[in-house]
Amino acid sequence: MNIKIKKTNDLIVNTLGLAITLGISIIIAIILIFILSEEPRRTIYYFFIGPFANKYYFGNMLDAAMPLIFTGIGISIAFKSSVFNLGGEGQVYSGALVATIVCLALSHANGFIGGFLALLSAFFVGALLGGLSGLFKMKWDTNELISSFLISNAVILIVNYFITGPLDDPKNYLLATYAIPFQYHLPKILLPSNLNMGIVFAILTAFLGYFLMFYSHWGYEMKMCGLNREFSRYGGIKVSNYYILPMFLSGALHGLAGGVSVLGTYHMCIKEFSFGMGWNGIAVALIARNNPLGVLLSALFFAYLNAGAKAAMINSDVTFELVNVVQSVIFYLVTAQAIYDIIRYKIKRD
Amino acid sequence: MMESKDLIRLIYNSIGIMTPFLLAAIGGLFTELAGILNIALEGLILIGAFFSVIFVAFTDSLFYGILLGILASMVVALIFGIVSLYLRANIFVSGLATNLFASGITIVLAFHFFGTKGNIIFKNVPKLPRFSSAFFQKIPIIGDTLVGQNILVYLSWLIVVIAIIIIYKTPYGFRLRGIGLNPGVISSLGFDLRKYRLSAILISGFTCGLAGAFLTIDLGAFVPNVSAGRGWIALVAIYLGNRNPLGIVIASFVFGFAESISNYMQGAVNVPTDFVLAFPYLVTVLAMIFYSIWRHAKEE
Repeated sequence: MNIKIKKTNDLIVNTLGLAITLGISIIIAIILIFILSEEPRRTIYYFFIGPFANKYYFGNMLDAAMPLIFTGIGISIAFKSSVFNLGGEGQVYSGALVATIVCLALSHANGFIGGFLALLSAFFVGALLGGLSGLFKMKWDTNELISSFLISNAVILIVNYFITGPLDDPKNYLLATYAIPFQYHLPKILLPSNLNMGIVFAILTAFLGYFLMFYSHWGYEMKMCGLNREFSRYGGIKVSNYYILPMFLSGALHGLAGGVSVLGTYHMCIKEFSFGMGWNGIAVALIARNNPLGVLLSALFFAYLNAGAKAAMINSDVTFELVNVVQSVIFYLVTAQAIYDIIRYKIKRD
Repeated sequence: MMESKDLIRLIYNSIGIMTPFLLAAIGGLFTELAGILNIALEGLILIGAFFSVIFVAFTDSLFYGILLGILASMVVALIFGIVSLYLRANIFVSGLATNLFASGITIVLAFHFFGTKGNIIFKNVPKLPRFSSAFFQKIPIIGDTLVGQNILVYLSWLIVVIAIIIIYKTPYGFRLRGIGLNPGVISSLGFDLRKYRLSAILISGFTCGLAGAFLTIDLGAFVPNVSAGRGWIALVAIYLGNRNPLGIVIASFVFGFAESISNYMQGAVNVPTDFVLAFPYLVTVLAMIFYSIWRHAKEE
């Protein structure tokens, strides 16, 4: 009975703490808009209501949540096992490039088979990049946080080379590759927006991730390693595996985020299109407390902020990067224990 | 093949290029010794870079402008410190927050005040004074590479000397190192760990601010995300330098040299720019891996 009360209490504390964090970030958004905008009321309207203005904006918001679901789950898996994957940006970007290359190379293949191969390659290139950092960590105790970031940064530049060099389509006016053949486009859901079947994959992945983490043997061992590696070693878990596996899966999901974005949304690899998907995935995972089903909601929230900033930029006089400042406030506060302690203290006193 | 004149040029350039790495890493050493993995270095450099060039342009004074730029960087470091230490946020996450904040706020302010998200060029920002001394000139072989660097290069060396004195010769330095080794002991002696850690974070804000100034003042312009991963490379330099100031000097030089070579290649060999830009990251990650292999072998 006592345990049950404690659990509900924890839930209340967590929810309240999160509400405070998100509330503060929204207040800061409003303050910034009042400082920066000449017509703050118009800006605020588009920032908060814009994403719901019509089917186009709304569908695009859901579509923007799609990669964040993948990256958010990817980060959750790593965090649950207490390894840090800061290479998300490069993993998403390289996944996108490789999926594009496979689609371009198989220009006449069957849509299902070719599409599957493209996503599989995106999965594995991300997994390889993440897994490398896990391998170095396991073998020589190389800090995976820094190595994954550095590898990612190098990879981003190499991907840039392919997009603007050998794969650049001179006929489009973007810095982008050739468009992938039509048979690989994922079906659209909410025209005229960009929303597509990718969102269904993302939701399925969230349920799969939830099952993996909470109901599978692997997930159990991974979590135990995350809680206490020494204890897990005594318990007979082969702990060295749980440096590589979480990084491998984390990278793989990032790669998929890139691959699905190409097949579903962009249909080509555009320079720098995925920037932010990796970093935001970290915030999304933290808000969701590393729960894959929670990731669905927090990804939606982040997509909402991004969509709002985009609508405000198009219809008013602020720049999109405003949202980065707001997101950084969430980043600052989302793990701040002091906030939760204060709430706990208040609840106890009442 | 490369002539000795070219080599001197290459080393001369490396000594310039290494300066922001060195400054950020020396500041980061204080946080590292205090047991904090400071991934906010990157953002702090960016803040320093942005505000110092703008304040130099507004105040028409190199001294006051750079000072204000450093102050801005220290203010952001203070936020990072308070959130991490007093609100007890996860230090990696608040470090990431700092980097995201820096890259967002610089672009937002640039757009608001200058109407651009691209490069902001200031015509009235003077070059940093260069410094020639007969003393350096007399040093055999390497003398030519040490003369005529800008003033911040020499200042960074002075800062290294001061850092060595603080870390190894003052009670503050002893306690700081003690915190990294065993926080429990230091706090049981009655010292407030958080104050020491906050001071270390502020020191890193100071040196990163200066590192940022180095990047923009001579350029006379602010380029978005001009820090370009230097804070992260500085972090690796701290490890490679075995967490001591002289080691950091050597590690920073290695990274400066790598970048200097990649600049040289850009002019001399026909390699795509993106590969050239990726080179310092690859060197850094390889250096990091070799270092951990070496350390691993030593432990066994």
